[in-house]
Amino acid sequence: MLLKKINIWYLSSLAISIIVAVPIVTVFSSFFEATGTYASIIKDTFIYEYILNSIFLLIGVLFLTFVIGVGCAYLVSFYKFPGASFFKWTLILSFAVPAYIYAYSLTAFFENYGTAFAILKNLFGDGEYNSIIPKFDGMLGAIISISFSLFGYVYVLTRASFHYQSQNLIELGKNLGFSKQKSFFNIILPSARPAIVAGLSLVAMETLSDFGSVSFFGISTLTTGIYNAWISFDDLTLANRLSFFLLIFILGLFILENFSRKKAQYHSPSKGGFKTKSLISLTGFKAFFAFTFCLTVFAISFLFPVLQMLYWTIMFPKHFTDLNVMQLLINTMLLVFLSSCVLISLAFISNYGNRVSKSKFLELLTTFSISGYAIPGIILAVAFITFVSWFDNNVISFFGISTIKPIFIGSILGLVLVYFVRFYSLANNGIKSGYLKINYSIDESAYLLGYSKFKTFTNIHLPYLKNSILLIGILIAIEIIKELPITLIMRPFNFETFATTAYIFASQDLLEAAAAPSLFLIIIASFFILITSRYILKD
Amino acid sequence: MTNNFLEIENVTFAASEKNKVNNVSLNIENEGDIICLLGPSGIGKTTILRTIAGLEKIHSGKITLKNKVLSSKNTHIEPEKRNISLSFQDNSLFPHYNVIQNIEFGAERNKKNKKLTVDEVIKFLNLEHVKEKFPHQISSGEAQRASLARSLLSKPDLLLLDEPLSNVDQSFKEEIQVKLKQILTELKITTIIVTHDSYEAFYLGAKCGIILDGQLKQYDDPYNVYHFPNSVEVVSFLNRGILIPAKVTGENSLENYDLGTIKGNFIKHYPKGSDVQLLLQPEDLEHDDQSNLKLEVVDRKFRGTNFIYTLKTLSNLLIPVFVHSHHIHQHEVDEKFGIKRPINIDHIVCF
Repeated sequence: MLLKKINIWYLSSLAISIIVAVPIVTVFSSFFEATGTYASIIKDTFIYEYILNSIFLLIGVLFLTFVIGVGCAYLVSFYKFPGASFFKWTLILSFAVPAYIYAYSLTAFFENYGTAFAILKNLFGDGEYNSIIPKFDGMLGAIISISFSLFGYVYVLTRASFHYQSQNLIELGKNLGFSKQKSFFNIILPSARPAIVAGLSLVAMETLSDFGSVSFFGISTLTTGIYNAWISFDDLTLANRLSFFLLIFILGLFILENFSRKKAQYHSPSKGGFKTKSLISLTGFKAFFAFTFCLTVFAISFLFPVLQMLYWTIMFPKHFTDLNVMQLLINTMLLVFLSSCVLISLAFISNYGNRVSKSKFLELLTTFSISGYAIPGIILAVAFITFVSWFDNNVISFFGISTIKPIFIGSILGLVLVYFVRFYSLANNGIKSGYLKINYSIDESAYLLGYSKFKTFTNIHLPYLKNSILLIGILIAIEIIKELPITLIMRPFNFETFATTAYIFASQDLLEAAAAPSLFLIIIASFFILITSRYILKD
Repeated sequence: MTNNFLEIENVTFAASEKNKVNNVSLNIENEGDIICLLGPSGIGKTTILRTIAGLEKIHSGKITLKNKVLSSKNTHIEPEKRNISLSFQDNSLFPHYNVIQNIEFGAERNKKNKKLTVDEVIKFLNLEHVKEKFPHQISSGEAQRASLARSLLSKPDLLLLDEPLSNVDQSFKEEIQVKLKQILTELKITTIIVTHDSYEAFYLGAKCGIILDGQLKQYDDPYNVYHFPNSVEVVSFLNRGILIPAKVTGENSLENYDLGTIKGNFIKHYPKGSDVQLLLQPEDLEHDDQSNLKLEVVDRKFRGTNFIYTLKTLSNLLIPVFVHSHHIHQHEVDEKFGIKRPINIDHIVCF
């Protein structure tokens, strides 16, 4: 039976899923390997700090993103107030600001003699302002930076859920005599619960995998522990073992997120049953409050970092003129282009292979392999290097061939491969959701009209999914432009992107030099977000 | 070597372990013949079509078309190489092409088909007003007709239609049925139609197969299926009469406690004195106000051209009787209703 299913599509799909799964398996297998002396030091000293800091960070970020994300989604979905339509899409611009750039802005603004100091000095003359300006560094700074960078996940998913919430449900509340408050807590919020949980799960995964902002604020978390174990102590096995703990934690969240997503289907509109909600017009204080709330979130999450970076770029033009913008742009877009091509084509082949072979085993393997998205980039990079080293030492050397490490480590190929593992679920899910809209009888109709499987793929599926492909390409672009740890670890020598350039300047305490690359990064990411905003807000 | 156009020999059609039609043997003798398969929902009719089309494999038996084995235990010709067209019950139009482009896919398959043009088929299936629209912009009935048009244009060796008119408006259905039969006959397209509408099957099919309880129960021409059902299950599926107890009293007669003597021609011999179940169809009994055989009316259904009265006998049997709707008067529930005697039935079917 199995042999009959095996064809070129099946094998391709199987190969792709295995490639994606390799780093994940490597992390798991490393759990049983011996570690160096640094492991016992970590065990006795830092491990609890890593875990506690990770938990504190997680709780703080989840609380803040919940309040901001659900609050904004609720206001723009149910009420009409000045600027509501504007905020509806501008709030997603926060996706363009990575947490590490937010952290640079936050520090730059509130540090001693920073931007806030300069503003006060200009307004009120000389004074001891440093003592009254609050300091957002350490854990608080990290929580704020990550929260304002990630609340978009909660906002987008909750807004979609509110948007598709049946008007009948709201009318039912009115019919039962519920107050607005009671309707919100008893009807609206519970029915959006799966979407909120899904959003918070994504935030949690991103928070646990954050490297840029926590390392900038000097907080020891599991992610920085992994980085230190590998970079500072050269203990790859320990790095993998720490990764294993983090992975278990994140996989738990991943399963929770998947579970919530499945349940979220219950409030999607049934055919013909969806009525556009009539928005409630707010006036007076209530309108002012809604406007101010959304404006504040927009200003803090997007305008603030953009203006801070713009201010510094203007204030320190030398850093800008020294920057090889064109080269950075070419490098960034080269990675975007190569990764998008690889990701989209392989996701296509894998999905079509699954569709044609209808194999449950392949489905299962794909589900496992797409968990790469939940794994921090830093773990994937380390796992990839571990695997290549193992393969080089045990397989390649066996055949007497010289090392293959330079081909995969510190090369564009290696970088694109790790991006591939990290963002495969993005491409795969995008293609898969496109395929779900194509009834299988459409394939069968094509076969019966004399089309081969390949011709069905090229003449029926590709034209139908062209919009999905474009959207996925743009989403991949946004992610890769912002991506830091993988690029930092895997890039070839002297190959820089906007993200790595900003990071390198910031890590050398040259925040004003980090401004220009950060600003370019935000502008390019914003451009892509605006192109896709219609789709992001739709689903 | 066989003389039949299509031959299905001892094939078990199975979409799953539960959904099986076992050991089917069925032939279509001549090119251009139309047959219909009737059966309740979920019995496996669609699976039969999908298997013939090559979308499902078989593990026993053989399917042969024009003397070429398409499916057997060891052979499976891929669907795209069979020149068999299947028009699905649900919408299987390509969503990113408009109606006319979808239909043209059929024409592309068989460019030699000069007998029927895209315009003609669009006109005949009343699709002119939607030809520029996309599948999501048209009704399910229109989508079904567009799919039918695409299949017709591909001029297949064998056309398989799965409930082709199930979503078509009632007012339009008969017209399409007439045109469909005409075009299939003119183009000599051999067709298997799956339907649950017995009238549609009786009109379109030269032969009808009744699928019940995982088996092909009867495969015969429509008149015989209706008048000479070969099993109690077929009678009960067609729902066109009832079985009443009777005793065979002679070569051409039998006796029922409530109705008395019933005369007619037995289609099968039963020895005198045998206890049988007699099939009594609504048109077998005639109304007669003057008759002394009176039964109580328990229900009356108006069916346009006729009424169907349900009458209760002394032994509590419920018997259906047709009466022309222009009959001079109507009988209300609880009234007495006369049955003409002696009762003569053209052909007597017993079990």
